[in-house]
Amino acid sequence: MSTQVLEASPTPPQERPAKRRRPRNRLGPPWLFVAPALLCYGAIVLYPSASGVLYAFTDWSGLGGWSFVGLRNFDSLLHDDRALGSLRNTLLLTVAIVVVQNGVGLLLALGVHARIKSRMLLRAIFFAPVVVSPVMVAFLWKYVYNPAPNAGLNGVLGAVGLGSLRQDWLGDPSIALWSVAAMVVWQYAGYSMVIFLAGLEGISKDVREAATIDGAGPVKRFRYVTWPLLAPATTINVMLSTIGGLKLFDQVFAATAGGPGYATETLSTVLYKEAFVFGRYGYSTAVALVLALFVAAVSLVQIRYLRAREDQA
Amino acid sequence: MTAMNSRSNIDSRLNRAQFLRIMGGLAAGVAVPGLLSACGGGSGDSNSLSLVGVADEKGPLDVLTKAYTDSGSGITFKTSYAPTDQVQTSLRAQLGGGNAPDVHALYPGSGSAMSTTDIAKAGLLADLSGQAWTSAIPENLKASFQHDGKVYLFSSGLTVIGTIYNKSVFAAAGVQIPKTWGELISVCEKLKAAGKVPLALGAQTQWVTQLITYALVASHVYRDTPDFDDQMLAGKATFAGSGWKESMALYMDLRDRGFFNDNPNGTTLEQSTAMVGTGQAAMAVQVAPLLPAFRDAATNKDDIDMFPFPSADTAERVYTWSAANVGVGVHAKSKNKDAALKFIEFLGKQENINTWCEVVAAIPLKRDASSKVDPALQSFLPLIDSGRVAPVGSRWPNAEVQPTHFTVIQDLLAKKITIDDGLKKMDEVYRKSS
Repeated sequence: MSTQVLEASPTPPQERPAKRRRPRNRLGPPWLFVAPALLCYGAIVLYPSASGVLYAFTDWSGLGGWSFVGLRNFDSLLHDDRALGSLRNTLLLTVAIVVVQNGVGLLLALGVHARIKSRMLLRAIFFAPVVVSPVMVAFLWKYVYNPAPNAGLNGVLGAVGLGSLRQDWLGDPSIALWSVAAMVVWQYAGYSMVIFLAGLEGISKDVREAATIDGAGPVKRFRYVTWPLLAPATTINVMLSTIGGLKLFDQVFAATAGGPGYATETLSTVLYKEAFVFGRYGYSTAVALVLALFVAAVSLVQIRYLRAREDQA
Repeated sequence: MTAMNSRSNIDSRLNRAQFLRIMGGLAAGVAVPGLLSACGGGSGDSNSLSLVGVADEKGPLDVLTKAYTDSGSGITFKTSYAPTDQVQTSLRAQLGGGNAPDVHALYPGSGSAMSTTDIAKAGLLADLSGQAWTSAIPENLKASFQHDGKVYLFSSGLTVIGTIYNKSVFAAAGVQIPKTWGELISVCEKLKAAGKVPLALGAQTQWVTQLITYALVASHVYRDTPDFDDQMLAGKATFAGSGWKESMALYMDLRDRGFFNDNPNGTTLEQSTAMVGTGQAAMAVQVAPLLPAFRDAATNKDDIDMFPFPSADTAERVYTWSAANVGVGVHAKSKNKDAALKFIEFLGKQENINTWCEVVAAIPLKRDASSKVDPALQSFLPLIDSGRVAPVGSRWPNAEVQPTHFTVIQDLLAKKITIDDGLKKMDEVYRKSS
């Protein structure tokens, strides 16, 4: 019977098989699932954030009343050496973190993807720092960065005959920023590793075997097969580490509080201090707004570029 | 097949409905108590006072709130304590949001997020002027307790900056307590020759950077110009054109002579405390409330003692930095204001002032026969009683001057800027509106 029906009314070639459609007059289940979370997110994050934008145009001190000051806060920001210095530091930190964290993460992922016996244990060890609170990590690294010649990292360098490399890791303004970056990379390289690992697991063994049969060595296999197919994982890692770098606060504040001088001040530490230390909530909101727009702009540009790369791959 | 699909759809709808009900219930369960607790603040119960203090106040206030409850006052307390920066952040948000605790931590003078003048200006502090203990406030510290002639801060006593030192290191090097700047230099040279760090400096902990400047400025600015703060506020004086310059030059002279530990900018307060405690270093310029921490770090607690920093050429010209300790204020809009004010009156009784000061190694606002001043602070009493004190830094016009001073000192220690550059920067920040 069904054969007869099919013969009697053949499906026109231009028509696609009928899709299961949900009734339009009902809120579809996916939205119903999302609604409670969206409601909470809107009430707790979106609404306060949007209403907070207003304060960027005021002289609010956090106490009592306020008045509109137009664009004065933004004008001050453009002439604020400390804020501009912190922007430079933030960018340098972000670049360092994105490059090194993802580089190390990729190497770790390739290492623990190999068929070695202890790979599960190593994965757990490399990921372990990610679950530690960033503030705790900063406090621990303050011990590692103890400037005394026989303590922490300096002690280790001395013990292995590299005493000449001893540094005042957090106290020397010329290297403090990089010391903070190293701390962040140590903590989050495992995070990048997990994402790259997921990407590696998704690459078909057949593709690599085909490349091997075609005579590609390990380097060529990585360059022409693995690396292009890791593009989606790279996009996610670069995006997340960029956003994380641009809004970096906990580790910097706990390790150096922006010092020595302003050597490790980031946009986030500046906006924190402006609000909660100096009581200039209006100006601080202006800094926060600029930071948010900056992060959004950088992320958009990045995602466009990286998505294009994925399409090529 | 069709029947199975229908059955499956019904099942999934039912499951979804159940799921959503469960999730809705969970969300409400999580959100409602959160919202209710977020609206909390003043206790609202006339027999209970909410009190938020900084960690330094926990010791004395634990004792005194219990004593007040046990005294038959009928008042109980809901207390919470946290480190200074956390308390400053949360208290200011609570004050701005209209749900501040009945009694809260308050810093003397002006120039910080929770300083007396700044909060009083916003009309958020209750007037304590009529209370008996206020008559004991020393004349030269009144500005720290007041705004527009009214007292808003309760502080039990004074704290000082001085030189905490390890007596066994002094004895081993054969040196005596220096009384003048020249003697200090000589003592430091002998200690250095004996292989000890003369002065431990943990400048990575930013607030520590200011202590040597304040100790020097007390003698080099306020001794001859006691109204320096008034002159600064009136725009008639500058940091760059005052004894601040000489003070910073002397500070950096100590650096150039190699009297500090290596890499002070990378050394934390805790590391510098341990250096003195273990005898690796001989001295540290510090605030008196840190005496217990130095004693805890010492092999023998009795090795730790303190003397006024010899900041002048003759002993008679030495002034010391001294200021009111962090204290408490009463929220002006508290529903329990009367009960809170009575509690402050209780704190102001001599025996309670004594108790508070004993716990935090402070010098009571007024002393009587029962006052027990920490033996390490005895050498400061003649200076305090003769008015040779200066509360440097307690009347900054905005909260940015002090942190700017921190960064200037760190940059000077790193030889990144000159003293003139640093003071110019401080003058610029001083002139910013609050």
